[in-house]
Amino acid sequence: MAQKQDQGMELLQGTLDMLVLKAVSLGPLHGYGVLLRIQQISGNRLEVPQGSLYPALYRLEHEGWIAGDWGQSENNRRARFYRLTTAGRRRLDAETRKWHEMADVIGAILSTAAEEI
Amino acid sequence: MSKPSQLATQVQEELKFHIECYAEDLMNKGVPRSEALRRAKAELGSIPASSEQCRTAWGTRFIDNLRADLRFAARMLSKSPSFTAIAIGSLALGIGANTAIFSMAKAVLLDQLNVPQPGQLRLLAWRVKGHSIVHSSWGEFHSTPDGSGSTSFTYPVFEQMRRQNHDLGDLFAFKNLGRLNVSVDGEAEVLQGDLVSGNFYQQMQVQPQQGRAISPSDDTAGATPVAVISDAYWQHRFNRSQSALGKTILVNLVPVTIVGVNPPLFTGAKGALSSPQLFLPFSVQPAVYPYQTADSLLSSGKVWWMQIMARVSPGTDEQKARAALDVAFKSAIRATAIIKPNESIPNIEVNDGSRGLNQAQGQMAKPLWSLMALSGLVLLLACANMANLLLSRSEARQREIGVRLALGAGRWRIVRQVMTESLLLAVLGGLAGLALGAFGKKAIVAMLSGPSEPLIISNGFDWGVFAFCAALSIITGLLFGAAPAWQLTRTQANTTLKDRAQTVTRRQRGLAGKFIVVFQVALSTLLVISAGFFLRTLINLNRINPGFDPHNLVLFDVRPPLKLYTGEKQIQLFRQLTDSIAAQPGVESVALTSVPPLANSYDTNDFTPEGAKLDSDSQGVNESTVGERYFETLRIPIVAGRAFALTDTETSPKVAIVNQALAKKYFPNQNPIGKTFSTTDNKQNKLVFHIVGLCADAHYASLREDPPPVFYLNYRQAPEVDWGMTYAVRTTSARAAITPALRRAIQSIDRNLPLVDVRTQQEQIDQLLSNERIFADLTVSFGVLALVLASIGIYGILAYSVSRRTNEIGIRMALGARAEQVMRMVLGEASWMTLIGIVAGLGAALASGRIIASQLYGLKAHDPATLAGAAAVLVLVALAASWLPARRAATIDPIKALRHE
Repeated sequence: MAQKQDQGMELLQGTLDMLVLKAVSLGPLHGYGVLLRIQQISGNRLEVPQGSLYPALYRLEHEGWIAGDWGQSENNRRARFYRLTTAGRRRLDAETRKWHEMADVIGAILSTAAEEI
Repeated sequence: MSKPSQLATQVQEELKFHIECYAEDLMNKGVPRSEALRRAKAELGSIPASSEQCRTAWGTRFIDNLRADLRFAARMLSKSPSFTAIAIGSLALGIGANTAIFSMAKAVLLDQLNVPQPGQLRLLAWRVKGHSIVHSSWGEFHSTPDGSGSTSFTYPVFEQMRRQNHDLGDLFAFKNLGRLNVSVDGEAEVLQGDLVSGNFYQQMQVQPQQGRAISPSDDTAGATPVAVISDAYWQHRFNRSQSALGKTILVNLVPVTIVGVNPPLFTGAKGALSSPQLFLPFSVQPAVYPYQTADSLLSSGKVWWMQIMARVSPGTDEQKARAALDVAFKSAIRATAIIKPNESIPNIEVNDGSRGLNQAQGQMAKPLWSLMALSGLVLLLACANMANLLLSRSEARQREIGVRLALGAGRWRIVRQVMTESLLLAVLGGLAGLALGAFGKKAIVAMLSGPSEPLIISNGFDWGVFAFCAALSIITGLLFGAAPAWQLTRTQANTTLKDRAQTVTRRQRGLAGKFIVVFQVALSTLLVISAGFFLRTLINLNRINPGFDPHNLVLFDVRPPLKLYTGEKQIQLFRQLTDSIAAQPGVESVALTSVPPLANSYDTNDFTPEGAKLDSDSQGVNESTVGERYFETLRIPIVAGRAFALTDTETSPKVAIVNQALAKKYFPNQNPIGKTFSTTDNKQNKLVFHIVGLCADAHYASLREDPPPVFYLNYRQAPEVDWGMTYAVRTTSARAAITPALRRAIQSIDRNLPLVDVRTQQEQIDQLLSNERIFADLTVSFGVLALVLASIGIYGILAYSVSRRTNEIGIRMALGARAEQVMRMVLGEASWMTLIGIVAGLGAALASGRIIASQLYGLKAHDPATLAGAAAVLVLVALAASWLPARRAATIDPIKALRHE
């Protein structure tokens, strides 16, 4: 546990799907690539639990938000690449909007000082 | 992607790729290979768990569970083979009986003609209120007090309507002629024939499998007579040989050339159940089938006899077409018939023709519906049985279920498991039932087929029947699976685990099972009572004294071709035949009659007693035209006066013999001998007859009705003899032994005359009662089936209850209960269930009695003997079924029983 905290923050509940959608929206990625990209964008501050990644990928594929195709990886191996579908794009937009609203509201609540009430 | 195994390998491959990539990255940072792999694996978590989660995410969990459930269900079933066998067996019987009856009902009530797009076929009919212009018809005709209607038309009306019809496709026509005398290579037989219009095959869109169809050019006056034969006849007479094509056969002595063979399932337009063997163009009618009152029906505007069909094309405005046809129809009538002032002109109707004339429907619909109801009851019984068996099993499995619940299994998951098991059983039972149903259908078809006209019911795979069977299986599965599943949901994990010690005194558990047994007994009682009713009806009908001696009587028909034998020549032929037959060894006495006794055949004519005015008092009375030795041959006693004699000839005074029923009705308290009455011939000429004899009553057309009034005329003096005669031969030999002699006797007079329909009088009676017999056979089989199912049910519930109460019984016996007391206790339980069930069944039978009352003979629908008999049978069967469990209870060893826990 201590080691993990050194490396980065734990993911907030329910945000993994959104992050995965965002990651593949920037270009097709295989599973490990999704992991690396999220970590890279977050500046290695965010820790994605690897065990939850693949169930999330399959869930999103089952919902039709991403599509997976077998292809060639950068080290010339067979890997499954995921890309965003149109439905996935809409989903990502909706989630992003929701996240920003939520962040605003929570931010407002947290920044409230006693005299403002 | 849909297959779970495929998904699993895919997930594993992805996870492996992930681990390798991660391990590589770690190694690049300087971590040793083994350590890198370990960490990679550790961070990802266990692969099986991961892939399981992926599959859940993908949605294959449901299928996986279903497979597991099915595997488990199959294992559970194979663990108790006797239970499985009983379950599948009883379901198969129930479903099989229903499938067989349903296939029959479907063929009779629903099946369409075997032609392309039968739904496009329309059958023309007409209906009229008040007096109709139709006076002479041949074939189907129905009249009600306020009007009449028919599907029969005159040929000129057909021709004119066909010319003027532009909306309803091309009109085409057909007519079933009934029996035709056909001789092939000197061998004569009687076949069914249809006349068809020249465009019939074209409009039906049917191509013969061999040769060619009847074409419009065949249906013109003066064309060479041709015929297309049915597949069955091709097989039966020509053994599917090509040489049949081009062969010339004699049809009613007219040479006709065979030009084609119909496809196997094509039955013509009459109906889908049976096919005429010969199809001839209308143009041959005057030569092949001369009609009594007209030279040619093709030009007669008087006789209404043929059926008209049309094939509509999609998008036809049928309302408009009907209106246009109606106009054409009315103008055709005006052009071809004389209309009296008080007569109305009928309106045309355009009806569904997809099932042809479908005459079978009327006769068989009612018994079929009753049989479907009875077989439905049998299926309900099988379901009750299954529910009972499964309930006992699920009670026995409560501990197992309790353990699973305690381990965290979802309640819904367990219900699903139980339902899967029921459905698996139902599907297996359904498959077995489908096979049994096919077998049963064959048996019923064999029962329904008369010797002269075999039914054609396709033996091919029928999706409709399969769907019915599948639906039935699933419904039954849900029906009998519901009770145990419902009970299991109420199982409490903690109580079942502790439960075993408490079973000693808990008894209300089996309540649902007992209720089902009562229900089963009630249903069986109902079915056994029905069986009893129909069996006794059949026995009663067989016991009726027909008024003559039916033993050692051989009957056969002679239908001389009308072209060769008319009027006096026919009478002379009948005389010669009588003499020739009487001279054969083994023949005691011979007589002929126009109406074969007990053959459901009637002949009625005007009867006006002396003194009454013709027309005002004339009434239709049954008539029989017979030979001189008729009363002697059939052994109908002459009560007063004399029988016919050889001295009654064409030129002597016209004499008649009447039966007692007629004397009682028309000459009450008088001596009918010496009285006269008049009747009319086909040309409405009045003929006067002197009554010279009074004979005893004999049943005439049927057994169910009381002997009707009948007058007998001598065939040499009768007004018309034109539809053939039935000969009755009193013989000392068996039918098979006498037949060659009879054939010799006939062929010595005319070698082209066939011997038609040789049967004994007893066979004739059996044929008359064949519907009753089929009904009795089927209801008795259903009754026996019901008894078997009920006894399995009673045995099952008691055997289970005894095994569950081993402990309790052991204690009772340890405390001093004697074996017979224990036995009485178990039998008592069975008796209560049985008695309640029987009372309920009797109540249901009494309540539904009115429905079957009309089909019974010689007993009422509340006949006490039948009701009591059925109850007694049920009591016996119930006691027999409970005997084994009771004995097992009585022989329980108390020591072992107590140690048992």
